[in-house]
Amino acid sequence: MIKPAPTEYRFTVPRNLGAVFGRLRTPGPILWILPAALCVTLIFGYSIVDLVQQSFKYRGDWVGFENFSLVLTDPLFRIAIFHNFLLLFTVPILAVMSFICAVLLFETRKGMKFYRSAVFLPYILPIPVIGVVFGQLLQLNGALNSALRAMGFDSLALDWLGDPKQALWTMSGIIIWKEVGFGTILILARLISLPLETLEAARIDGAGFFRLHFQVTLPQLRPVILFYVINEAIVMVSWVFNYVYVMTNGQGGPGNATVVSELYIYRSAFQNKAPELAATSALLLLLATSVFIIGFFRIQRNINKGVFDE
Amino acid sequence: MKIRGKAFAVGCAAAVLLTSLSFTGASATVGSKKAFPTKPVTLTMWWWGDQEAPGAKLWVDDTVKAYKKKRPNVTIKTVLQTTDGLVPAFAAAAAAKSGPDLQYFWGGIYAQQPGWDGQIAPVSDYIPAAELKHYINASTELSFKGKIWTAPWYVNPSFPVLARTDVLSKYNLEVPMTWKDLLNVCDVLSAEGVPALAGGVKDGWFGGWLYSIIGGQSVSSSKDVVAAVVGTQKFTDAKHADWWTRLQETQEHKCWNSDINSLELYQAQQLWKDGKAAMTVVAGPDAPNFANSVGASKVVVMAMPKWSNGKFAGKMGSTSQTIGITQWSKNKEVAADFLMFSHEKAQLNNWFKRTGSMPADDRFDLNSVKDPVKKALFQSALPGAPYLENFIPAQLDTDAVFTNVQLVLAGTKTGKAAAADMQAVMERLRKTDRNLVKNFTAWSK
Repeated sequence: MIKPAPTEYRFTVPRNLGAVFGRLRTPGPILWILPAALCVTLIFGYSIVDLVQQSFKYRGDWVGFENFSLVLTDPLFRIAIFHNFLLLFTVPILAVMSFICAVLLFETRKGMKFYRSAVFLPYILPIPVIGVVFGQLLQLNGALNSALRAMGFDSLALDWLGDPKQALWTMSGIIIWKEVGFGTILILARLISLPLETLEAARIDGAGFFRLHFQVTLPQLRPVILFYVINEAIVMVSWVFNYVYVMTNGQGGPGNATVVSELYIYRSAFQNKAPELAATSALLLLLATSVFIIGFFRIQRNINKGVFDE
Repeated sequence: MKIRGKAFAVGCAAAVLLTSLSFTGASATVGSKKAFPTKPVTLTMWWWGDQEAPGAKLWVDDTVKAYKKKRPNVTIKTVLQTTDGLVPAFAAAAAAKSGPDLQYFWGGIYAQQPGWDGQIAPVSDYIPAAELKHYINASTELSFKGKIWTAPWYVNPSFPVLARTDVLSKYNLEVPMTWKDLLNVCDVLSAEGVPALAGGVKDGWFGGWLYSIIGGQSVSSSKDVVAAVVGTQKFTDAKHADWWTRLQETQEHKCWNSDINSLELYQAQQLWKDGKAAMTVVAGPDAPNFANSVGASKVVVMAMPKWSNGKFAGKMGSTSQTIGITQWSKNKEVAADFLMFSHEKAQLNNWFKRTGSMPADDRFDLNSVKDPVKKALFQSALPGAPYLENFIPAQLDTDAVFTNVQLVLAGTKTGKAAAADMQAVMERLRKTDRNLVKNFTAWSK
């Protein structure tokens, strides 16, 4: 029998600030968190206010919604957003792969530390290193294609990053390769902390490998998987700039095949010297990301409510 | 009424005083009439160029040392920038109004735009006209409303095609001088699995080169290009669009290495050095080094084969890479003094010695150049064809030229569609950059 956690330590997302302060009986925690909270509020608060201001101006003059109209009618911005949307399809793949890897690592008896490190290694590699390595590896006459040709698989030797039809999917593959380590470790950590009694009971009752993990383990991992899914969704919408920048020399090419919204913002601000358009598109991206963050908190609240109500 | 009259009189007096003060200030600065500071001064210079003119770093070090001897109170810190980082790093510095005192700029629009944006001070405010008139391409690329934005540093003959006679003769081919000949060479060599031309467009830059050396053959002056920018001509007009069709022909005739889209510009040039391609295009200052690396006797340095009877067909473009003084620099006179020092005879000769390329100063003695490859190259740049890429907005270059060259060479877009896209991007740019038409119009006058 597992004891429920004491009420005062349960993590639940409060509905409003009043609830937070109501729950705190001493001002200590507020004082501790105050410096960091002030820092965050000043840095991000100022930036956001400035961003909003800039998006309604051109060279200091008020232009209303003109910048929004220009950004929203820009075919390149639409392409960039569409690419971010396409990258979201990697999220379920990441979740499934991370779950499978975590379960396999959990079940591995020998060499678990080695395998765990091997899976996690890509996640800790700096993105510029990955960009340079894959940039070389995936050239039309690079190491991968040379190996494929040597094995007689000439038809599989594609121009991975040079063909506009494949470049974004290649990029997705590289992102999956890097990000799956994070998900694996996250899920594995939760898996290890699960009560073994449940799993043993299921085994005694005759549950096989698949039934055990899909019907007993998976439901208990739901909160952490959902956290990972939301986190990766945010990554795909607003955190893939580094990959694209490094692997395409800041171009988003070939053509516009790998342009994403962050690259659009960067190019507007620093290459095209249009800070107002950069601010406008950044504001739009912030709003899109906020949808995910709000969604994340809502889902987490519901999950926590469900878990602790059980 | 009296009060109004008094106020008017005071206003007039103030205006006269301010005007006279500003004139005094201007006359005091030009020609460096102000006493040179004796207190310690530190200048920071962000520069680029060792990539296309190897040896430039040695020259920078030599010149900074020599200047320190001349002006012991002045220290110059130099920072070499990357190709992809040069423009964004300066944009960030300009936004913060803090950074280098001296900044490297490519010619034409790359120097004009920071001037229009108030990020640099015209060097003509600090360097006398009698001195500036010697700086090659200053008046053609860098002047705006009677001022000169930046000081040319070295000349970039843009861009020579290097043909290897040893590779061509292996297949009984001669160096192609016309477009028809070039396509024939492509057909023969591609059948043998050898690329006629080595290139890499992954990083985009080569796209701009191709635009200039192929597209330059059908325009009659840089004003044609500016006219298409401001909207009195179109990039879909034959004189601006035909080069896209020529580019498509090179793709159809398999002129290029098949991995052109997955290689960067400098990586692809290595194929030529290795003898795996018959021709390539290189930066002018680096051409002699390339030729010498495989044996100058085996190399023909030439302009892109002719495809039109245009004024500039068969000619090489000429542009100067430049150094500007930032608006926020507190030591503009010192920065200008350093620029003038870099144009003194000893420094001009040392530039040639260190890099083998041509300093942007007509006082450099061309007779001192003995190498026939270098001499021919330098002469081709005096006076050269306009380097087109420098006369279009930088964003048009990256958003339309770089991208469409990649797609045409990948075989996924036609030349006609690329020209239409270039025109569409230009029309959009005229809306997003509200000062573009005004600035380009003023520049073209």
